[in-house]
Amino acid sequence: MKSRWITRWACLLGAFMLASVAGGAHALEVRDDRGVTSRWATPPQRIVTLLPSLTETVCDLGACDRIVGVDRHSNHPASVQKLTKLGGLDDANVELIVSLRPDVVLLGVSARVIDRLEALGLKVVALEPRTQDDVRRVVQKVGAVLGRVAESERLARRIDAEVDAAAAMVPKAARGWRVYYEVDSAPYAAGTSSFIGYTLQRLSQDNVVPASLGPFPRLNPEYVVRADPYLIMVGARSAPGLPHRPGWDRIRAVRDGRICIFTPSQVDVLSRPGPRMGEAARIMLACLQQQVARQTGAGS
Amino acid sequence: MNRRGWGLGLVLIALTALAGVLALAVGSTGWSGPQAWGADPLAWQIAWEVRAPRSMGAWLAGALLALSGALAQGVFRNPLADPYLLGSSSGAALGVAACLAWLGVGPASADVWVRLGVSGAAFMGSVMAVALTLVLARGVQHTLRLLLAGVVVGVVLGALSALTMLMVPDITRAMQAFMLGTTGFIGWPAVGTMAPVLVVCLLLALGGSRALDAMSLGDAAASSLGVSVTWARWVLVLVLSAATGTAVAQAGLISFVGLVAPHLVRSVVSVTHGALMVLSCLAGGLLLLLADVLARWLIAPQELPVGVLTAVLGGSYLLWRMNRSSGGLT
Amino acid sequence: MSRAPILHGRIQRVRHGRQTVLSDVDLRIEPACWTAIVGPNGAGKSTLLRCLAGLQPMAGEVSLGGSPIGAWPGRERGRTLAWLGQAEQGADDLRASDVVMLGRLPHQPWLAPPSPADHAAVERAMLATQSWAWRERPMGQLSGGERQRVLLARALAVEADVLLMDEPLSHLDPPHQADWLQIVRELVAAGRTVVSVLHELNVALMADRLVVMQQGRVLHHGPCDDPLCHDAVREVFEQRVRLHQLDGQWVALPVL
Repeated sequence: MKSRWITRWACLLGAFMLASVAGGAHALEVRDDRGVTSRWATPPQRIVTLLPSLTETVCDLGACDRIVGVDRHSNHPASVQKLTKLGGLDDANVELIVSLRPDVVLLGVSARVIDRLEALGLKVVALEPRTQDDVRRVVQKVGAVLGRVAESERLARRIDAEVDAAAAMVPKAARGWRVYYEVDSAPYAAGTSSFIGYTLQRLSQDNVVPASLGPFPRLNPEYVVRADPYLIMVGARSAPGLPHRPGWDRIRAVRDGRICIFTPSQVDVLSRPGPRMGEAARIMLACLQQQVARQTGAGS
Repeated sequence: MNRRGWGLGLVLIALTALAGVLALAVGSTGWSGPQAWGADPLAWQIAWEVRAPRSMGAWLAGALLALSGALAQGVFRNPLADPYLLGSSSGAALGVAACLAWLGVGPASADVWVRLGVSGAAFMGSVMAVALTLVLARGVQHTLRLLLAGVVVGVVLGALSALTMLMVPDITRAMQAFMLGTTGFIGWPAVGTMAPVLVVCLLLALGGSRALDAMSLGDAAASSLGVSVTWARWVLVLVLSAATGTAVAQAGLISFVGLVAPHLVRSVVSVTHGALMVLSCLAGGLLLLLADVLARWLIAPQELPVGVLTAVLGGSYLLWRMNRSSGGLT
Repeated sequence: MSRAPILHGRIQRVRHGRQTVLSDVDLRIEPACWTAIVGPNGAGKSTLLRCLAGLQPMAGEVSLGGSPIGAWPGRERGRTLAWLGQAEQGADDLRASDVVMLGRLPHQPWLAPPSPADHAAVERAMLATQSWAWRERPMGQLSGGERQRVLLARALAVEADVLLMDEPLSHLDPPHQADWLQIVRELVAAGRTVVSVLHELNVALMADRLVVMQQGRVLHHGPCDDPLCHDAVREVFEQRVRLHQLDGQWVALPVL
């Protein structure tokens, strides 16, 4: 009786393996964020990426040599800077892209060239990571496109591990601080549900923007005054006028000078939801450590 | 000014007072009336430091834009003229784009831009665009040439600022906020800048309003009445540029207020340009103040761009009036 | 006896683009007199009137009261010489009384509100042209004839010594044409100078003096009763008009 049970399961397993091999006429099938499915017989060898975070993800998964063209803002790792530059999301050079004969084009969902490229017969995979779940999903999808599924799992785990490592090093004095992270000077903030907010949360920071407002809401400046964050994180471009905004001089962070200003290259790392999220966490960690050191250095 | 004009003026002032009270009570927590202030000590300070200057700034910016619009419509004898027709909007956008792109990037450049600030850059850009238009049109002799030059300058500078946004995509969101108009960061210093400019521009506009009346019959008729048409045009163009530049520097590119406020006034009363200037200021200020209140209120604590609301408010009122008058053709 | 300064135009050439519109005109306008300018379409009548008013760039010189018109200060010239253009557009949002008040602009100090004298002059002018009844209506709501009468009132309100009017009778029906004639006669009797470009030959023939123009030149300038004048009129209209006397008044009729 036991042998019959084993046989039944062995047959099922055999059938399943047979089916999976037989159904491999299209070995790769990926459904992108628009819901469009693309299929390849073999993993794509010529890749064009038009989003810096996707460029970095592809390179981190070991397929950097397969990239034939990138957008003008992709600058990491250094090897991609020598590749053909194809413009940005809004003004990509369609002719140049087509002339590179890519097997797949990776870009963001809001790119305007998608229709044009698909009409010309190219396979387009549109991915847009905004929340932390998005990041994991995008990494997996890129791995699926490249045929590097195992590597993508490793990458996702590595990102988590690096963020965890940074989180473990957060000084006790910096835990539970109320933080306001400004993405742009409209002001656009990074909310709890964004990938930046996720990292802040892992670093035991309390975001003044709750998840209910979405990942990147445009706030009434009065809201920030009311929320009275303990620490403000902002990019160098938005920093200069910030303390002089009406009413902001009564915010704790402004009064005590607890504003972390990130250089443009640091902002690049922080605003790309890709393999360098660990580095982003370390940048934010450095900010926290610096602020704690200032406080203890100033004595109390 | 005739009786109806006075009546309209009083109505506008009363509505503005009401809107002012509303403005002080609406903020990031939605409506919080004066009774709540007693309980919350922060509320009173927020109302004074954040909401009061912002609301007053919105009113002043609206008044400046409406004054500009009334002047533009008078100088060019074109009911579709708005404050931006001499290229000032594109110039301001380019100034802001350049400022944002260079701000905080290098220590040397940072100094200039920080001192100038985004507001200063917008004002300089706006004024320089108008200067370029005047140069291209070789003076104010021919209004058509001036309009065409303004269009050309507007398009070219607009393309340049779009290019800047492409090259430095980090600034895209901030630029978008500027282009849709934002009253969020207007503080007392900004109010202190706009108020005297409004007073001076209004006085100069009133001084030139008789000339505008005469010019509405044509250059020849005005000239025969002893009006120096060229001189009047120069002064009024400079006044309207200064008013536009100041408003745009503080509040971004708010569209429609300058175009629609004089029409709102004219749909109710027939007045000479002198009264039109004053009433347009009142109407424009009220319009922008209401738009600002709604921008803060509708999705608090998030904010809508105020330029969208001015279009909705102003446009709806105008449509309603047009409907009424076309329904009853005399 | 006449207060009006003498208006004298010596115009060598006026061009519009490549076309010469006026050439070699030497015209002295008699003071205290009504002069009518007639001619076929394109003869340059309006351009001549604009030159005399100092509103047209030209090669030549126009003098008012002995000094060049360009040398007169703007307001003083505005008080002395009133101009009514052909089919003036615009000002649809102003009320009729506001438009007529514009005629008082040369008399008003820069920022001063209208004086009682101004209001009186406006009332007189509007009563004379029978437009007083709708002084509160916006110009945009007036018919062609009503609008023209308001514009006439504006020219009258200036109370200038010299009046130059281009097609003042457009849109006016005969009773109001008669009103206008009455006004002109009264002005001339008071010693003022009136020059008008007229399409209506019959009305023009009631003037004191006639300027007959053809292709940018003045063919004849002289009293209206003169047979030479009539010959000139017949010539510029290619002999397709005949002149008869009716009740002591010359009328022009087309030759059928």
